Amino acid sequence: MQIIENSIVKEKIYIEKLENGLTVMIFPKQGIQKKFVIWATNYGSIDNKFIIPGQVETTQVPDGVAHFLEHKLFEQENGTNSLDTLTALGVNPNAYTTTDHTAYLYECTDNFYPALDELMNYVQNPYFTDENVKKEKGIIGQEIMMYDDYPEMLVYMNALKAMYKNTPINIDVAGTIDTVNKIDKDILYKCYNTFYNPANMVMFFAGEFNPDEIVQEVKKRLTQNNQQGEIKRIYESEPKEVVKKEIEAKMDISIPMFVIGIKEDNIQKPEEMVKKHIAIEILLNTIIGKSSKLYKQLYEEGILQEELSTEYEFSKIYSYALISGASNEPQKVLTRILEEIERLKQNGIDEEDFNRNKKMMYGIYVKAYNNIEDISKMFVADYFKGINSFDYIENYTQVTKEYAQKILEDVFKEEQTILSVVR
Amino acid sequence: MEYIAETIKEGIKVHYRNTKKYKTNLVTVFLTVPLNKQTVTKNALITSILRLGTKSLPTQEEINKKLEEMYGAEFNCGIEKIGDNQLLKFYIEVLNDEFIPKKEKLLQEAINQLLEIIFNPVTENGSFVRKYIETEKVNLKNIIESKINDKDQYSFERCIDEMYKDSPYSIYKYGYVEDIDKITDEELYNQYQELIKTAKIDIYVSGDYNQDEIKDIIKNNPNIQKLPPRANIIEKQNVENDAKVVPEINSRPQTIEEKMNVTQGKLVIGLDINDDNKYVLGIYNAILGATATSKLFQNVREKASLAYSARSVYVRQKNNIYIRCGIEINNYDKAIPIIYDQLEDMKKGDFTDEDIDTAKKTFISAIKAIQDEQDEEITYFISQELSGEKPDFDEYMNQINSVTKEQIQDAANKISVNTIYFLTK
Repeated sequence: MQIIENSIVKEKIYIEKLENGLTVMIFPKQGIQKKFVIWATNYGSIDNKFIIPGQVETTQVPDGVAHFLEHKLFEQENGTNSLDTLTALGVNPNAYTTTDHTAYLYECTDNFYPALDELMNYVQNPYFTDENVKKEKGIIGQEIMMYDDYPEMLVYMNALKAMYKNTPINIDVAGTIDTVNKIDKDILYKCYNTFYNPANMVMFFAGEFNPDEIVQEVKKRLTQNNQQGEIKRIYESEPKEVVKKEIEAKMDISIPMFVIGIKEDNIQKPEEMVKKHIAIEILLNTIIGKSSKLYKQLYEEGILQEELSTEYEFSKIYSYALISGASNEPQKVLTRILEEIERLKQNGIDEEDFNRNKKMMYGIYVKAYNNIEDISKMFVADYFKGINSFDYIENYTQVTKEYAQKILEDVFKEEQTILSVVR
Repeated sequence: MEYIAETIKEGIKVHYRNTKKYKTNLVTVFLTVPLNKQTVTKNALITSILRLGTKSLPTQEEINKKLEEMYGAEFNCGIEKIGDNQLLKFYIEVLNDEFIPKKEKLLQEAINQLLEIIFNPVTENGSFVRKYIETEKVNLKNIIESKINDKDQYSFERCIDEMYKDSPYSIYKYGYVEDIDKITDEELYNQYQELIKTAKIDIYVSGDYNQDEIKDIIKNNPNIQKLPPRANIIEKQNVENDAKVVPEINSRPQTIEEKMNVTQGKLVIGLDINDDNKYVLGIYNAILGATATSKLFQNVREKASLAYSARSVYVRQKNNIYIRCGIEINNYDKAIPIIYDQLEDMKKGDFTDEDIDTAKKTFISAIKAIQDEQDEEITYFISQELSGEKPDFDEYMNQINSVTKEQIQDAANKISVNTIYFLTK
């Protein structure tokens, strides 16, 4: 078993790759009552076109299959629902789908092994019928409609639509009512059989655990032992430029919401991702963070009342930065941010600002280890990007002001910037 | 569990929670006052002004720079409503010294900084800084008006509003837009002085630290020293049902329908409860709608496929249950009878021992889990503090375990629908 230790947060992670290809990761945490388990597959909403191992022709499926599977896996052949079974054990089960993975999880304080039986049973035993697939369409339809009423979702989805033409992050993870209607049990089985192979999956355990024991217990419960070949995923090529610079929608809201998106025109090398991510977080904070000169000015001019939130999202096929918030003058916010970026390019980043923001990022990376749920989700998400989460703390010192200045030039380009507004 | 509370002056309590579970230390200060229409808006405004500047760091920029220097100490403030009280909450979270490159006594610094923000704001001409008052008035207006952005939460608040018309519990925690402009600078500052003189003050320090050292820091803090002792102004949470609207016999329950541009209808049903055993009602609520095996989730969502969300919440402090569903607008007439059937089933005792067992396990697990979440644990502590109960997790679990089927069915028969609120297109 591989053991990686981080001396700053004083934590360890144990990693074992099983014969059937499944990766098991254990993050022991002493002195807490909670235990957290995630079983995730590298299959998300963007995986709609692929070649099944052993085949030649391409398979294309409607949008929303990964999420549909997430809903349907709980249903068992004997008529029970694993969500119910787990709930009856007093554990807290859940599942979620992202652009690049689907995760099944539970949090518990007691009944850990009975719950593990159930988790590993339902994920390995799909049961889809015409009838139960049809019923699920009603529930998923309601879920999609529920998100339709969230202005935050609309302004965010519109930003992605303005940036991306062909990359399927521009549609909701759940798909649309139309695409969901096209899904049937054969499609579900086909995708399940392709993507729910142990070699495409990771299991993550956080809590008071003995790593060797966990590996044995997992092995006992695994039924699939054949390791399949590589799944070839086909992503349409994405133009470098954005689709449109501005997008606007209307909704009953009190103050306009906006998202400024910066689409990267160059996908980074995997080994550089972490360093670059840290630099971009520092840059976003330098440009418009709560101690920035620009935020102070916009606040004093009454253009902004609340701090903006910033994030950087990336996978193997896309990467973008977002700045979002609320203002009566979103256009003005955009103009001023672009001016500030230009100024920082011309005059260089202030040394003191850089060091302070970097110090803050250190705090954020350490704090991420407070809670086992956050730890588990972070490690799983990073794993599918080819990253070990400890790398953020390890690489932190390597990010210099000069490096950040270079990233500023490379990433923050006016022609790659879009504005999405809901008012 | 290592938890000690100490009254340092009448009405001012420090709560120490020693634990090694986290990378951080968390300090939370609550100023608690009874909800009151005259002061609620002013208090909300004061809270957001305080975060902008202290005598020593008079701008937000300076405060934020200082926080960033402290390895990104997280500071924020907000308004909470617990029972009939308004709580002004201020917190700061810093890394434990063990996880920073060199020891810096971050916790001590954080406590002093937080107290400075609350009790020593920058002033001019006998009030807060004019510019801050102006911008925060706009900000508060936005916050109050943004209530409509989250249609789910909005519907929930509206149902409470209609159910508790004219009683303090209906007061919105951030106050009222129409009152904002009327507030003069002088009134505002007077209210601030009144607030720090009279509010119940609770300071929670959670993390890995030396208690004596922290005790000294707080007791010797000049901002704490200048605070006068104060009488207890917090009434024990009264759960009198007469505070609620009593619909006329022949128009019971009251039904309210509102229109807005929504895709999905939001249904909220407020229940009257004539029983005060909180443990029994907690279990009743779990069986009715708080888990994936609950009656509402199973029948409204899984069997009838009418909703994605179908659940009920128990508001312990007010002893109240609300049923909340997001349904297709045309399905209102289908959903209501199904929901009523569930309430009837509960009355008839149409639930199994397994349902009770599941509810208990879910509860116990949640209680245990609270103790692994720094912020949630403090939220639990303060709500216990305000209802005059000791924060004793073991006692809580024992009480839950002793609930019987007879008690649940008995409670079910003392429950009726008070208000049906529907947000539709």
